Amino acid sequence: MNLSTGRLVRLCRKELRETLRDRRTIITLVLMPLLIYPLLSMTLNRFLLSAQSGTAPSFRVQTATADEAEFLQMLLHDPRSHPPQAIRDAAGDLPLARFEFYVSTDDRPPAEALLAGNVQVAASATGDLPKQVRFVALEGDAASQQARRILIERMQWYNASVYRERLEQVRAEAAEPPLVVETSEIEGEADAPLLATVVPLMLVLMTITGAVYPAIDLTAGERERGTIEAVIASPVPRGAVLFAKYTAVVTVALLTAVINLFAMFLTLWASGLLHHLLGADAAFPWVAILQTLVLLVLFSGFFSAVLLALTSFARSFKEAQAYLVPLMLLSLAPAMMSLLPGIQLAGPLAVMPLVNIILLTRDVLAGEAAVMPAAAAVVSTIIYAAAALTLAARLFGSDAVLRSSELSIGSLFARPERPRAVPSVSEAAMTMALLFPIYFVTSNVLAQFGPASMGGRLVVNALALIVLFGGIPLAVALLSRDRLKSTFRLRACSPLALFGAFAVGLGLWAFAFEATLLGEMIGIGSLDPDLLQRADDTKQEMQRLSPLLLLVTFAVTPGVIEELCYRGYLFSAFGRRLGPWRTILLCALLFGLFHVLTGNVLKIERMIPSTLVGIVLGWVSWRAGSLYPAIILHFTHDALLMMVIRYEETLKRWGWDVSDGEHLPAVVLTAAAVAVLVGVVFVGLGTKPSEERKDKEST
Amino acid sequence: MLETCDLHKRFQLERGVLTAVEGLSFAVSPGEVYGLMGPNGAGKTTTLRMILGLLDPDRGYAQVDGFRTDADPDAVKSRLGFVSASDGVYPWLTVREMLLYFADLYDVRPSQAEQNLAALAQVMDIEDLLDRRAGALSTGQRQRVTLVRGLIHDPPVMLLDEPTRGLDVVGSQTIFRYIDHLRSLGKAVVVCTHRLDEAERLCDRFGLLHRGRLRYEGTLEQIRQHSGKRSLVEMFVDLLDEPDAADPQAFDPAAPA
Repeated sequence: MNLSTGRLVRLCRKELRETLRDRRTIITLVLMPLLIYPLLSMTLNRFLLSAQSGTAPSFRVQTATADEAEFLQMLLHDPRSHPPQAIRDAAGDLPLARFEFYVSTDDRPPAEALLAGNVQVAASATGDLPKQVRFVALEGDAASQQARRILIERMQWYNASVYRERLEQVRAEAAEPPLVVETSEIEGEADAPLLATVVPLMLVLMTITGAVYPAIDLTAGERERGTIEAVIASPVPRGAVLFAKYTAVVTVALLTAVINLFAMFLTLWASGLLHHLLGADAAFPWVAILQTLVLLVLFSGFFSAVLLALTSFARSFKEAQAYLVPLMLLSLAPAMMSLLPGIQLAGPLAVMPLVNIILLTRDVLAGEAAVMPAAAAVVSTIIYAAAALTLAARLFGSDAVLRSSELSIGSLFARPERPRAVPSVSEAAMTMALLFPIYFVTSNVLAQFGPASMGGRLVVNALALIVLFGGIPLAVALLSRDRLKSTFRLRACSPLALFGAFAVGLGLWAFAFEATLLGEMIGIGSLDPDLLQRADDTKQEMQRLSPLLLLVTFAVTPGVIEELCYRGYLFSAFGRRLGPWRTILLCALLFGLFHVLTGNVLKIERMIPSTLVGIVLGWVSWRAGSLYPAIILHFTHDALLMMVIRYEETLKRWGWDVSDGEHLPAVVLTAAAVAVLVGVVFVGLGTKPSEERKDKEST
Repeated sequence: MLETCDLHKRFQLERGVLTAVEGLSFAVSPGEVYGLMGPNGAGKTTTLRMILGLLDPDRGYAQVDGFRTDADPDAVKSRLGFVSASDGVYPWLTVREMLLYFADLYDVRPSQAEQNLAALAQVMDIEDLLDRRAGALSTGQRQRVTLVRGLIHDPPVMLLDEPTRGLDVVGSQTIFRYIDHLRSLGKAVVVCTHRLDEAERLCDRFGLLHRGRLRYEGTLEQIRQHSGKRSLVEMFVDLLDEPDAADPQAFDPAAPA
């Protein structure tokens, strides 16, 4: 079915029209920001003004009689009750706290006014000299406690000054105090600005609010209105209809977010709060707002996909709402994390959905975002969104939903009745969505808590690779009744292709090496000297290990396991839907991405060489119609690289230094190119694409 | 024009398996109105859904204009029109926007869609409604809009699922006129209904479905001879009186849940 851009745009336009004309969309879109932000700014204003540094705090004190109030006021005005100027200067020369006195008009004791929250301190001053001065504060009330503390201090200063005066009168000479107290302040590390912590939370909540209604209305609502059958009965691809709906939901979510963002900043600016939040001399934060907008596009893209996956499953508006309330509550908890001090965007948090975007927004607004965790957050969010959208496309209008049967959610994940030749695309996408975060977290945990010795670490990492990248696709394939031979493409192939793959492997490392240099040249590479030092240390440790261990952990395991996953499982799943070239590219990109995420540091510099190697592996495996040549090639390539590192010193003695980051000598490059060419010719001679076709027909 | 060949569909329920359609084969030629009839739960709607590609049959296929549902489902879909009593409208779109949207779903060129719409709007008397919001239509108006929706891509085969359910006399008359119109255009029409009086009046041939199997098929006269009963009502009563035990396919408790 021909799906032109014009047609897709018309489909999107219909969904947008439908949702934007709906009164309920408009309410969340316009009314909420109009109401919420003035309210929020008033609350903030009160909070900020009372906590404001640079202005004098002001407190209210209740006394029983006017005489007591007058006496205490006199004491507070007396300069002898003021802290010495030296101490005031050291504390930033703040104005003294102001106290307003109130006198009880009836018989009720001052403590009642305190309990009612009308005043911060109840005070009394009874008896003749020496007067008994008594201050009562409210337990657990910060302002009340602060007021009492200041009052007691002022009384103590007064006592000390009067004592000193009296002593000097008696002794007729200056009295030296036993201690001279000095104090000063240094500038500490500032907390993240209040703006940076509150804004992400608000924006995320608002984006969610904006997206929820259209997501329900355009999916579950369509079912409730009785229009879905007619849509699904038409020959338009279900994915296109869902994409149009997705576009509409993202647009509304973004509109909500943008309107909220501007309403928020406008209110803050108009009420003068922006200066309090950013500092008096800060300009209007245009750049931060624009960066936040970009993150919001990403966030709404992600959240809308998740919403659609949930609402596509629901059969009615009510059911969809029942699913979404827990989701919103679940989202709230991580959203609160941005308010906690000391939480960093790093490690597992960088790939934790929702949390990563909120923390990244916070860092952007605070002007302290780091590139690597930001990239991890962005990439993982895109992966999650794609996975959620795939799931939504699978659920939207699926049998289980159209037919109001007794079947439960389990039926969607039920094993098919008959075995399948290859996994479905959605199954593979779900497997990947599961695998990447698990692997990322596992390799982080291993890097932190794994064995200390290099050899031990290598073994544990290899085991993790086997269990995750071998075990998870295998388990999913078994559960989904995918025939293992065709799923993992374990078909016999021509010996010519095997030899060709070996020859390509002999030469390919040189080009992967050059690609890394190219990456560094165009700025994709970790030039952090700390990381380079660590890589160097690792290399030296490796040079002391047995070459056999290195071969098993660095060449055999990845050669077999990674190929089973990428050129086996994924290749067969995507191949049926996408055709050879797009499959080769997609598998290579995922392969490259996986190498970026290995270990606890993002290895961006590995993206280009790994993807390049992935393309070659995909091509060889596709031409041969089998996984085995890919395994041979991968093994040869990794083994050769390992041996170059292991025997670097020996190679140096032979006058060949590969460690200084310079381009390879022309002789080596030429030899490598010849090896690759010979390999390509042999793979071409050993082509056996008919097997793949046979499989296709049998499905 | 339309042909179904040995269609089978079973549903897995929490306890046992329900056989909804079993070995169903029938054919409808252009200009013919075929009544697919049966009591509730006979498998009529399931059959339509398999023809439409909303459900995958466990076995068998349907064929439209030489295209098979299992080989070229999109080609089949684009040659089918479908109207059901439970069809709704998009309340916030105008009638015109909604109908053109469906034309787009069927990949009708925008200029062609406008032409089809103008012609159909005249036939079904909805010209005045085109720029009204669909949510503001009365039941009768909504029904006419839905009927136009089913024909907007000018399909050679039309499937109608309980088209008169919930309609008053005037509404039902509109349906009768619509079906006559389809016949005059040479469309192959399948009407699913359990309103026997209507069916006798409307349809050229009948298929009587019970518990997923086709029991009688032919013109009214042929079925009468075959069953020995005068009217469709009598034949229905006869079918419903069959004991459940004689029907091994209804529920199979031994089947895995």
